[in-house]
Amino acid sequence: MREITYMQAINEAMAEEMERDERVILMGEDVGAMGGIFGVTTGLFDRFGPDRVLDTPISEMFIVGGAVGAAMTGLRPIAELQFADFIWNAADETYAKMSKWRYMHGGQVTVPMVLRLPEGATGGGGAEHSGCPEASMLPHPGAHIVVPSTPADAKGLLKSAIRSDDPVAFFEHKMLYATKGPVPEGDHLVPIGKADIKRPGTDVTVVAWGRMVSLALQAADRAAADGHEVEVLDTRGLRPLDVPAILASVEKTGRLLIVQEAPKSGGGASEIAAIVAEEGLDLLEAPIRRIGAADVPIPQNAELERFAIPTVDDVQVAIKELLA
Amino acid sequence: MALTTDTKKDIYRTMFLAQAWEQALLRLMDENLAPASYHPGRGSEGTEVAATAALRPDDYLLYDHRGMAHIIAKGVSLVELFGDFLGNDLGTTGGLGAGIVHVCKPELGVLGQSGTLGGSQLIAAGAALSSKLRHTEQVTMCFFGDGAANRGTFHEAANAAGAWKLPLVFVVQNNGWAVSVPTSYSTGGTFHDRAIGYGMTGYEVDGQDPFAVYEVAEEAVERARSGGGPSLIEAHTVRLTGHYASDPDGYRSAEVRAAYAEKDPIVKARLMLLEQGLATEDELRGMEQTALDEVQTARDKALTGTKPGAERLHQRVYV
Ligand SMILES: Cc1ncc(C[n+]2csc(CCOP(=O)(O)OP(=O)(O)O)c2C)c(N)n1
Ligand SMILES: [Mg+2]
Repeated sequence: MREITYMQAINEAMAEEMERDERVILMGEDVGAMGGIFGVTTGLFDRFGPDRVLDTPISEMFIVGGAVGAAMTGLRPIAELQFADFIWNAADETYAKMSKWRYMHGGQVTVPMVLRLPEGATGGGGAEHSGCPEASMLPHPGAHIVVPSTPADAKGLLKSAIRSDDPVAFFEHKMLYATKGPVPEGDHLVPIGKADIKRPGTDVTVVAWGRMVSLALQAADRAAADGHEVEVLDTRGLRPLDVPAILASVEKTGRLLIVQEAPKSGGGASEIAAIVAEEGLDLLEAPIRRIGAADVPIPQNAELERFAIPTVDDVQVAIKELLA
Repeated sequence: MALTTDTKKDIYRTMFLAQAWEQALLRLMDENLAPASYHPGRGSEGTEVAATAALRPDDYLLYDHRGMAHIIAKGVSLVELFGDFLGNDLGTTGGLGAGIVHVCKPELGVLGQSGTLGGSQLIAAGAALSSKLRHTEQVTMCFFGDGAANRGTFHEAANAAGAWKLPLVFVVQNNGWAVSVPTSYSTGGTFHDRAIGYGMTGYEVDGQDPFAVYEVAEEAVERARSGGGPSLIEAHTVRLTGHYASDPDGYRSAEVRAAYAEKDPIVKARLMLLEQGLATEDELRGMEQTALDEVQTARDKALTGTKPGAERLHQRVYV
């Protein structure tokens, strides 16, 4: 199969869906002629024109709130925040309007929109451009939380998200943009909320999503050299969470490590650990382990950033400790 | 639609109906049948009814938390409105309840209201963008108070509307107060003057004169519809009651309140109809009695609704 980058996969998903459905529009800062500050929307403006690809003012509340209004009235917007950290600049529009207005209004309207959020530490972005705020959406039910880890998943999940009548927050890791992988051409759809075993194993389950999946896979390779079979389960997001798949894996391995890039406190890992403690305590042969970033604002100094966020070594050590 | 005698009478009838409906709602609250969570609209019916009357049935409305006159003017049935306040299945949201917000009627363009003040300004801009991109010639009208006009949401929505010439009409109901804080204390400049800074047309109108409001609103709506861009109408109005249903209103002096009482738009419109010879006393009485009967019938019907059980909680979160 041909290989393309994660960024190309996202671009291709948008282009195919815009081709397929004229109600799909794209709005965000610099997404037009420039093609986005990371290049993700390259070519879409030329292909679909200014009525489908809109360069917005620097108005995050309008980007999300305006997309909600457009979604309620017959369009299917893809709204892009330039950095996922800006979710706080559009907090009410994201956590309330996008997530709650369908329910609040008795289900009479739908809010079929995708909010794209480029996330993650990139080596020097600093505390306000490096976040992975996926779990911040958990206490605000109403929108799906999707986080692809590979180019194929990025394409398939984004296409599903655009076709979904529910709102979807789509977190794409900036450090994955340039990574390559096999991606099917044409209609490749990945269902939202289905976990994927990225590597089967029998000794330890490592649950991860987004960029942390590649760390988990690298650590699993190292563990294999030591004779341990690590299962890497990619949740592909946080809502809906594929709890049966997680429990099935833990039942097989008896050992669970959860890895997230966000600071350790209050993240998706805490939620998954709590669910497994509630529903699968008897499956465990060792205490649950979590890895996350240090509970500090991410420093701009790239060397300090490396100390703050999880590394393959961290994952490798935790796997060893779980097996000890 | 020109401001004909029939339009004037219809505006008066709807204002009267809205206040009669509100009185009946307050009675339901006294009787402990509806939760006492409501911001009465007495005083602002002139703006709400007359501006909404300038809309087409398929135009979009983002109403505000002050009264229900705009929703009634857009055509939502009284039974549904009572049902929303009673939290039963006859309401628009299937029993979720709608003490202050959450009435929704997509067939009539009623898109809702933001519980967080100002949020609807952005959604309105998005709806206006949508009708522009879909070439439907629908106009979006968004109501909010002087207080909500000071949120940052206003800036982002107004700027986008001005930049892209969106078919949007903002109606600022300036009643001089945001709960206990006077607008003169909270606000620099005037609201209608802001319009020019965003590339909108600004209007200032006496909100207590519904016929004047209609003419201004009609012009703004037609401009929006014909691609001429957004407008902002600042309507000076009054709040004849406390902020919420049982607010003792102690922060406003007796003199201030007495002066407001002189400005009831329903009284004013009634007088104008009589003085200009557009309606007779008998005709108006008949109209008023019909409205009162309509409210009573709607109340009786709404009280037959069924309240949802716990199963309703998990319905319609996701599609
Ligand atoms: C973002 C936000 N801040 C505060 C409130 C609480 N609140 C509800 S109504 C209100 C006063 C609003 O004043 P104004 O916009 O002038 O409308 P009025 O009540 O005078 O009609 C306040 C402070 C809210 N609902 N949302
Ligand atoms: Mg006010």
